[in-house]
Amino acid sequence: MEKNNHTKQLRSATTFLLLWLTFIGESQAIWLTIPTSGTKCVSEEIQSNVVVLADYYVVADEVDHHHQIHTVSLKVTSPYGNNLHQKENVTHGQFAFTSAESGTYLACFWLQNKHEQPLTVSLDWRTGISAKDWETVAKKEKIEGVELELRKLEAAVEAIRENLIYMKEREADMREVSEATNAKVAWFSIMSLGVCILVGALQLWHLKRYFRKKKLI
Amino acid sequence: MCSIIVLLGFLIGLMMMISKGLALSISLSDMECVSEHVFHDGDTVSGSFVVMDHDIFWNSDHPGIDFTVTGPGGSVVYSLKGTSGDKFEFNAAHNGIYKFCFINPISTPETVSFYIHIGHIPNEHDLAKDEHLDPINVKIAELREALESIVSEQKYLRARDARHRYTNESTRRRVVFYTVLEYVLFAATSILQVVYIRRLFSKSFAYNRV
Repeated sequence: MEKNNHTKQLRSATTFLLLWLTFIGESQAIWLTIPTSGTKCVSEEIQSNVVVLADYYVVADEVDHHHQIHTVSLKVTSPYGNNLHQKENVTHGQFAFTSAESGTYLACFWLQNKHEQPLTVSLDWRTGISAKDWETVAKKEKIEGVELELRKLEAAVEAIRENLIYMKEREADMREVSEATNAKVAWFSIMSLGVCILVGALQLWHLKRYFRKKKLI
Repeated sequence: MCSIIVLLGFLIGLMMMISKGLALSISLSDMECVSEHVFHDGDTVSGSFVVMDHDIFWNSDHPGIDFTVTGPGGSVVYSLKGTSGDKFEFNAAHNGIYKFCFINPISTPETVSFYIHIGHIPNEHDLAKDEHLDPINVKIAELREALESIVSEQKYLRARDARHRYTNESTRRRVVFYTVLEYVLFAATSILQVVYIRRLFSKSFAYNRV
């Protein structure tokens, strides 16, 4: 029964999306199902100074007999806990920010009002080079067509190179942690042997003193 | 590290859309699904996913997660079982909504970092339909897809690196914690031993025994 509803929902959701596309053009985003209770969170680890652009809307269900306007609430937090964007009961929206610190950025969705069925939200989340506005670049530099496409490819190659450099740095950090752990294991094991011997010697010394005091030896 | 790349193409009139890819982390307990819309028949859907298990104590106990892709007709197009992360690629025969599902067999919540990319190369049919397209656009699309495969590989490596980093941090914490605990237990045991031996030889005890 639930599966039937879900397929119906998906089919109607597809219809809605296709209708929208004729006005907007092709767009790509992931669709998340928000449960009736609880939150659904998506997160990403982003470096500092990266532009993040996101678009979200509730995918409408045409087979809804109540003709309710479904709304969703969301909250976007930075790794230090700062609230970057918060909206309650909206059907669509957009937010953008530049990451101040590097870490995990979290976007959480939940349903405020009582809904019988889970809601589908389409989230289009872009970071870095994908958030670049190519239309303004094309207008400013008066390039178009093939040249614009090649410019995009060039930017993609730059992004690949930056990614590689970043991964090299991360590998270096991890290598340091590994080597530190390696040194710690050796040092702590030797010290544990030392602690063992020390504690044993203390025991013997204390017991000898005690027995001498008790005139047993 | 997983990075999200979603290129939203708002260019009306250009049939050749910017390649789309999306990478995110979601928490997983039981089953989580993500849907994406494939616009053209014959598009290549590629991507990867890596499980970051934070809280698993004994790593060998976790059997991995299952991954299934359901096509617009409802049939399962692709599936992987019991894996902790892998790359995938398949040809989407029909356009429509594809559902990517991750199933966690155990109750401990996991975080899955995934990346999905849908690539489209215009073919002769598209060229005939849209007069703005040249054969050169096909070549550019192929080049873009090749670059996307590099980006996809990078995303996978970043996700695996992030998982490795968690393991490393966990190892470091465990080494310090368990070693200090060991020292404290040593000291406590020896003190208890001494106290016990002293009690054995104390007068009140001895009178009852000896």
